[in-house]
Amino acid sequence: MEIFQYDFMIRAFIAGIFIAILASSLGMFVVVRRYSMLSDALAHISLLGVAFGFLFSISTTWSAIVTAVIISWLIEYLRRNYNIYSDSLLAIFLTGSLSLAIIIISLSHSFNVSLFNYLFGSIVAVSTNDIYIISSFGILSVLLIANFYQKLLFVAFDEDVAFTTGINTSFLNYLLVSLVAITIGLSIKIVGALLIGALMIIPVISAMQYGKSFLKTAVLAIIFSITSVVLGLIVSFYVSIPSGATIVVMSLLIFISSLFKNKIFA
Amino acid sequence: MKFIDDVIEVKNLNYQTYIEDISFSIKRGDYVAIIGPNGGGKSTLIRLILGLITPTSGKVKLFGKDRINFKNNSKIGYVPQGVTKNDSSFPITVYEVIKLGFAHKSSLFSSISQEDREYIEFIMDKVGVTDLKNRLISELSGGQRQRVMIARALISKPDILILDEPNTGVDTNSQKIFYDFLKELNQKDNITILFITHDLEVIVDDVTNVLCINRSLLSYKDKNEVLQCNTMSELYGIDAHVVHHNH
Repeated sequence: MEIFQYDFMIRAFIAGIFIAILASSLGMFVVVRRYSMLSDALAHISLLGVAFGFLFSISTTWSAIVTAVIISWLIEYLRRNYNIYSDSLLAIFLTGSLSLAIIIISLSHSFNVSLFNYLFGSIVAVSTNDIYIISSFGILSVLLIANFYQKLLFVAFDEDVAFTTGINTSFLNYLLVSLVAITIGLSIKIVGALLIGALMIIPVISAMQYGKSFLKTAVLAIIFSITSVVLGLIVSFYVSIPSGATIVVMSLLIFISSLFKNKIFA
Repeated sequence: MKFIDDVIEVKNLNYQTYIEDISFSIKRGDYVAIIGPNGGGKSTLIRLILGLITPTSGKVKLFGKDRINFKNNSKIGYVPQGVTKNDSSFPITVYEVIKLGFAHKSSLFSSISQEDREYIEFIMDKVGVTDLKNRLISELSGGQRQRVMIARALISKPDILILDEPNTGVDTNSQKIFYDFLKELNQKDNITILFITHDLEVIVDDVTNVLCINRSLLSYKDKNEVLQCNTMSELYGIDAHVVHHNH
């Protein structure tokens, strides 16, 4: 196929599939904990990281990841220790980070097409170096999720009861927000800051329509997510439209078909 | 056979304005009901015993050890409030929930053993949920969900079972089956039971002691004494009384 003759498309597929697996498997825990807003907030926070990258002329992937992880810890700390509603806290960080990002980008005169790519995703933006970062973080994150799967599930199902069985719920909460932050930092180049939240949530909600166990729902969410990314990249290549938006539209189509077809498999 | 050692010891316990200077101890094999008005600190007391919140002052000891140093969590099974309500679309099956009882020792390199799997089957059979094992929790009735949560709590082979209003939203027939089951756990398996209830009927027939609290400890007596005192009226502000029923 013509599409596979281009190195940048091969890179986009590799990065996209890693992101699809990470986003949907973490999305399972985020959705059932009713914490969907977290991914959106962290996406805007990673945009602040991108702004730091522009300002200091360093890798925007690294700066996005580091900023998102540090602020995700701050959010988790405030959520646990202060009496502030989670959604209000996320709204404060979302708008605050975006404002700071705009100011920094404006001051560093980087308001150009590259910012547009970070907002909506771009296939050609993924470098070989990005592939190394995405695949190494991706493998590490998958291993961590697999290692703590039962404990993360218990904390999501009932945090108090999990705590009483001796599970370190505080560590697992920090681990979850860190992994979400890393995934979003890795994703914004290809899916875009405004759309990565959708890739984390929509495949999970689609999979939940089939009424399966948590594990089967997670596997289904990963399949839906990979399908959305692969189809989205192919369509975006041939029609010359932004990859992130196309991927999200594909996942929406799967969601709509799940709403109608779930009875067949249930 | 009853042992005489205290499994739970609470001394001069205070928590903000919710708990005021409460002291009592529970012995191995006791079956204790906590009663009191809404907002009287019953759930707060349980959360303090479980270590979910830290007391303002005073001490909780479990099996003779300070709560803060107590690490043998498998000795305590906890069934929280609200497990009988169906307000969740959480995609999780009965088997997956019960398996969570082994989550503390599960990792990438140490999956649960064949022996653990057999024990899950044994517990599912014991609480009567084997037929439901592949059903989603959200599809179950209040009584069925309650049994699943107890199965999850029993997986760690606890010495103490703590339940917070376990019968809310459960029909009368399921309640009777449930209390018979708790009685069996207490008498046959010698599990110490501590539970919050508004269901005064059960006090008479099954429990050994009744703990009456309304922020402070009003009384902690064996059930026969409770029935003779004015505690019920003190607690509920009405001429409350307890009705016997025969199992």
